[in-house]
Amino acid sequence: MEAFTTLTAIAAPLDIAKLDTGMIVPGRFQRIRRRPGQADYYSKVFLHDLRFDEHGKSRPEFVLNQPAYQGARILITGADFGCGSSRESAAYAVLDFGVRALIGASFGDVFVGNCMQNGIVPAVLPGEIVQALFRQLKTAPGSTMTVDLPAQTVTAADSTTYRFEIDATRKERLMNGLDDVGATLGHLSRIEAFEAAYRVRVPWRATKM
Amino acid sequence: MDEARTMLDKIWSEHVIVPRAGGEELLFVDLNLVHEGGTFLAFDQLRTEGRKVRRPQQTLAVTDHYLPSVNRAAGPAGIANPAIRNVVEWLAENTREFGIAHIGMDHPDQGITHVIGPELGLTQPGLLITCCDSHTATQGAMGALAIPIGQSNQERHVLATQTLWQRKPKTMRISIEGALQPHVTAKDVILALIARIGIGGAVGHAVEYAGSTIRAMSMEARLTICNMSIEAGARIGMIAPDDTTYEYLQGRAYAPKGPDWDTALRYWQTLPSDPRAEFDRELTLDAGALAPMVSWGTSPEDSSPISERVPDPSEIHDLERRRRVERALEYMQLEPGTPLSSIAVNRVFIGSCTNARIEDLRAAAQVVRGRRTTVPAIVVPGSTGVKRQAEAEGLDRIFLAAGFEWRDSSCSMCGGSNGDTVARGERSASTTNRNFEGRQGPGALTHIMSPAMAAAAAVTGRLTDVRSLAG
Repeated sequence: MEAFTTLTAIAAPLDIAKLDTGMIVPGRFQRIRRRPGQADYYSKVFLHDLRFDEHGKSRPEFVLNQPAYQGARILITGADFGCGSSRESAAYAVLDFGVRALIGASFGDVFVGNCMQNGIVPAVLPGEIVQALFRQLKTAPGSTMTVDLPAQTVTAADSTTYRFEIDATRKERLMNGLDDVGATLGHLSRIEAFEAAYRVRVPWRATKM
Repeated sequence: MDEARTMLDKIWSEHVIVPRAGGEELLFVDLNLVHEGGTFLAFDQLRTEGRKVRRPQQTLAVTDHYLPSVNRAAGPAGIANPAIRNVVEWLAENTREFGIAHIGMDHPDQGITHVIGPELGLTQPGLLITCCDSHTATQGAMGALAIPIGQSNQERHVLATQTLWQRKPKTMRISIEGALQPHVTAKDVILALIARIGIGGAVGHAVEYAGSTIRAMSMEARLTICNMSIEAGARIGMIAPDDTTYEYLQGRAYAPKGPDWDTALRYWQTLPSDPRAEFDRELTLDAGALAPMVSWGTSPEDSSPISERVPDPSEIHDLERRRRVERALEYMQLEPGTPLSSIAVNRVFIGSCTNARIEDLRAAAQVVRGRRTTVPAIVVPGSTGVKRQAEAEGLDRIFLAAGFEWRDSSCSMCGGSNGDTVARGERSASTTNRNFEGRQGPGALTHIMSPAMAAAAAVTGRLTDVRSLAG
């Protein structure tokens, strides 16, 4: 996973509330393996039914299809972005589309965990600030914003800076691009000691498949 | 230890390997349930990294999402769509390669993961269970701490370590009180709750459902309640174990036996929240006055009693909600003010981890007995075991005589992964958990409701108050 420190990029206003993971990646696109060279596939399916009509033609009116927002790497999202099913392909699609930071008032719980596991920073800001960011970006389409993870700040197009909160462990791993399995297995001796004691404490739980 | 603790506190602390107050803690996973949807990505990554499954004996794979609900005897070769067949075959290959037990398409125990966990007695009070599915909370109804995980990266982590990093959620007790009116079910209770608190209403919280309504419910009804926790925003839903739980569990295939049962029972009885335990949030729902519910919009929170009308967005003061309802009604092709009971449907689906257990099928069969469907309708039992039980009780003959199709267990038309979809512009009455745009297929118009209500809709061809059909 790619380390994240500071990102300055075009920000796109995705001003639709409750865009669920089934809209981010419709179920019919979940059947392809993601291997090097195939990442492009997940980029194509990102918000597919909003970006493309039923004949596969680009919907020019949709925000991400407008010229000003091409290359956007930051999305300002409506409330509850990523609610719904736990499909991790939703986070892949965000990432493969090129987006590394999401800014919104709230996110789906499972989705937000998946984003951080994939190197995407979710910045939660109060709803009125998110509304202000929407207005700014719509007034000046194609503006850039900055997400500074070490400082835990978002800097808007008008240079106003807002602080966001993020779990300290997650932050450290995002900043170091640390493989989570490797980090966990650093605790292997504690895991094994726990298991040995646990088997004694609750012997009937020794699951046998 | 005189500090009063919640059930979540107790089960959580029992599983903490690396504590970090206020941060993410490393938790031990008793049982990891794997289904085929998306998990091939986790195995792809493990293989690339040269990693193994650390505790195969604590891992069980189940094929459910992509299985065809018809023509099962043909095996994978009978799956016409190669993309779907691939996913089914990949899980079989991956479980063989990584040495994991697998309940595949021809296994007598096959079923929807959240249905067979309890049915086989794999789901037990006090266990920490992970599954790569947002409806994992279903199993919390048995007093387990059942946590949904992502299908690839998080799945890979659990497979490789048998542990999970989690921040302890806040706690929320939802007390549901009162005796339910006739024909009002667990599904109506949970839809009414979600309609009240919204799809984000419990985000960040582990919900414990309590109260007299819950205590009076069967184990299966409780599973329906916990199933839709995620539709209220909560990844975790739980119900304290009691005699209903123990009676359900005793004698099931993987339940503790003999002296182990007695030891386990004594432990389970310590799990319910202490009387003076404090929750971060408390909410009470009066269930005594609830009526059968149906959804009319594109989120489970868009649900109303069947006696009501499609809401008028112009009467909604909250601007964001008004815009969302407008968008929902446009998608659902509904006019404000339309009586819900006048909305015609094109097809009916009885199935899913929400409502396809034996009690659900009995309730639906009771409505259709001696009647005829007027629209295409299918029943997809929650497990192969449920199917056998239903056939032993003659329910299949009732459904078939009424014109239903009687199919094999699969997640089927809930999310349409297996190709069982609702066509664009078609309106379905469905016992599932989600009515999001495109959930049952691109352009599908989904109304969710209880099994009895879906059965009533199959008979009349429109959304119908099941009480009007009751004899």
